[in-house]
Amino acid sequence: MSLGVRDILNKHKLMPGTSACPGCPENIAMRIISTALGENAVFVVVAGCSSVIQGMGPNSAYNYPILNVAFAAGPAAASGIAAAMRTKGKNVKAVVWAGDGGTADIGMASLSGAAERNEDILYICVDNEAYMNTGGQRSGSTPIGASTTTTPSGKRHNKKNIPFIMMAHRVPYVATASVGYPHDLMEKIKKAKEIRGFSYVQVLCPDPYGWMFEPSKTAEVAKLAVQTCYWPLFEYENGVLRISDECLHCLDKRTRKPIEEFLKIQGRFKHVDQQKIKELEEYVDEMWEKLRLMYKGNLKL
Amino acid sequence: MMEKVISGNDAVALAVKLSRVKVTGIYPITPQTYIIESLSEMKDRGELETEIIRVESEHSAMAATFGAAAAGVRAYTATASQGLLYMHEMVWWVAGSRIPVVMTVGTRAVGPPWNIWNEHTDFMSERDSGWIMAFASTPQEAMDLSIMAFRITEDERVFLPMMVGMDGFILSHTKTRVYVPSQEEVDSYLPPRRQPYVLDPEDPIAMGNMFSPEDYMKLRESIHRAQIASKEVIVEAGKEYMKRVVPIGSYSTLNESYKLEDADYAVVVMGAWSLDAMQAVDELRKEWLKVGVYRIRFVRPWAEEEVVKALKDKSVLVLDRSVSFGRGGQLYTEVKASLPDADIKGVITGLGGVSIGKNEMKAIIRKFVERPQGIEWFYPKEVGKIELRSPRYIK
Ligand code: SF4
Repeated sequence: MSLGVRDILNKHKLMPGTSACPGCPENIAMRIISTALGENAVFVVVAGCSSVIQGMGPNSAYNYPILNVAFAAGPAAASGIAAAMRTKGKNVKAVVWAGDGGTADIGMASLSGAAERNEDILYICVDNEAYMNTGGQRSGSTPIGASTTTTPSGKRHNKKNIPFIMMAHRVPYVATASVGYPHDLMEKIKKAKEIRGFSYVQVLCPDPYGWMFEPSKTAEVAKLAVQTCYWPLFEYENGVLRISDECLHCLDKRTRKPIEEFLKIQGRFKHVDQQKIKELEEYVDEMWEKLRLMYKGNLKL
Repeated sequence: MMEKVISGNDAVALAVKLSRVKVTGIYPITPQTYIIESLSEMKDRGELETEIIRVESEHSAMAATFGAAAAGVRAYTATASQGLLYMHEMVWWVAGSRIPVVMTVGTRAVGPPWNIWNEHTDFMSERDSGWIMAFASTPQEAMDLSIMAFRITEDERVFLPMMVGMDGFILSHTKTRVYVPSQEEVDSYLPPRRQPYVLDPEDPIAMGNMFSPEDYMKLRESIHRAQIASKEVIVEAGKEYMKRVVPIGSYSTLNESYKLEDADYAVVVMGAWSLDAMQAVDELRKEWLKVGVYRIRFVRPWAEEEVVKALKDKSVLVLDRSVSFGRGGQLYTEVKASLPDADIKGVITGLGGVSIGKNEMKAIIRKFVERPQGIEWFYPKEVGKIELRSPRYIK
């Protein structure tokens, strides 16, 4: 059965009363993901916007059992839950829900450990490319050139490519997605849920406040990120890479939309100079070259 | 029940097995490593039903253990020193969630400089985290307290985690005679797992999301009240343990008194060196010195009434194997707070593995009796001045 977008948004486990900002990409992601996940899941929410979005305890707008934990604790806490569920003979998926700060920075060791042990958990990184919950400071996942509150004149280093790091762990499933493409995201989550072992899905979540665009434009920005090939959509299953249809055109540089279209729709790249744009393009080119080699079967991470 | 000659670490590993722990998050750190190795060996031999998660850090060890406990099963971990400090954040997280978890701390000095030997500073640094905190004085007691811990933490009047301290190397590695209960005895003692809430898709609840300031403060008060209420639970659990499991020990009180009734002087100690103190007291009594020992077994809850009853009207000497810098010994400050007007002196010694046995105890007690002032830090051997800079050869 194929669902229309409206069906997707109505068949979720996100209840009214969240304290998210208008246009929040994490809320959109939760709606889509919960539709795909269904009932049998426990969420571990790592410190970040989602710790707040749920609303004030003892109530919660996420209609799942939720364990909120300290920043670096997500993958390990989920490993414990998965083990407990196994001993109880229950078929329940432990899902980590973390931002990019919790993933790329403070939680990296714990994430890597859980991946190495091939824990039966699903790790979802909702990547809004900065520490938005604390007011928009740079993280390891902020792209080069983007201004944040701790890099006011633009970040000097490239975005940490976490999906690549996860592929190098040779876990059963790694995927990237964008809130601009709900069907693609749903399919990937459905697949990840069925995997026995570790799966990692990173969802690009354009944030109207940190990225500085109109809250009504979240989906548009999320789409542009994919169309300009800044954000790839792929899945890596048991060593085989599949590029999602939405960005097959990125494999050839000549068919990509210019990255400027993605940059100029947001305020955080306003002061970016030609040199930085060039460096960002180089990062994107290099990423796609690796993806192309993997896609052709000539490179395994 | 059977008798075995085993180390403190072995005794704790057996306690974990007998308590039918379901999940344990493990990470090696000296001197508790042997516990987790022993559990892993039992697992490989097919003798252990526990799921072992071999995590990548102590922070994760506590997080994994917490996750399992939150999902409704008995969960355990062990650590020491730097490891305990590294998991400090999650230690607080567990108590704040009111989730029963049991942990062994094989006590050890904290760096820098590197030091693997025993002291109590690591353990004492968790005093305010909300955990129930017991300290063993023998391998037997390490095992007994670890089993009791599950019953205490899972009592609805408590619902707090508990750590059991055990002197690194002195207890963890020394083999001695231990009465090991049978599985049936422990089964008859430990009721099925209970906790205030469980992660379960059939009843989705959120744990640990934002609270209003008032609700947050209420929760803090509830932890405080649960600590106080746990005193009764601990005594019940102790008596029941002596009845059903191991018919020796002195678990009908939180702390333990030794030759205190007629004593003029009381020595307050905690951990393995309590036995040295008792031997010292036996010998000093032959010299007509009326001295007794008061052994702290529970740091939290603090046994205020018992402490006051045992120590009032006596000259008190508190021996600390830990220090609150600029303030003094940590047990000293606790005892002083219970008896503000009493004659209490404190001595800090035995840090970082400085060896204190019966003879050193005797020397300290004698000094205290003869010259009540003037001893604060005790070194059994002559020590030179510490050079903070490495000395350089200068022409
Ligand atoms: S800062 Fe961004 S991610 Fe956080 S709640 Fe607001 S819109 Fe959502």
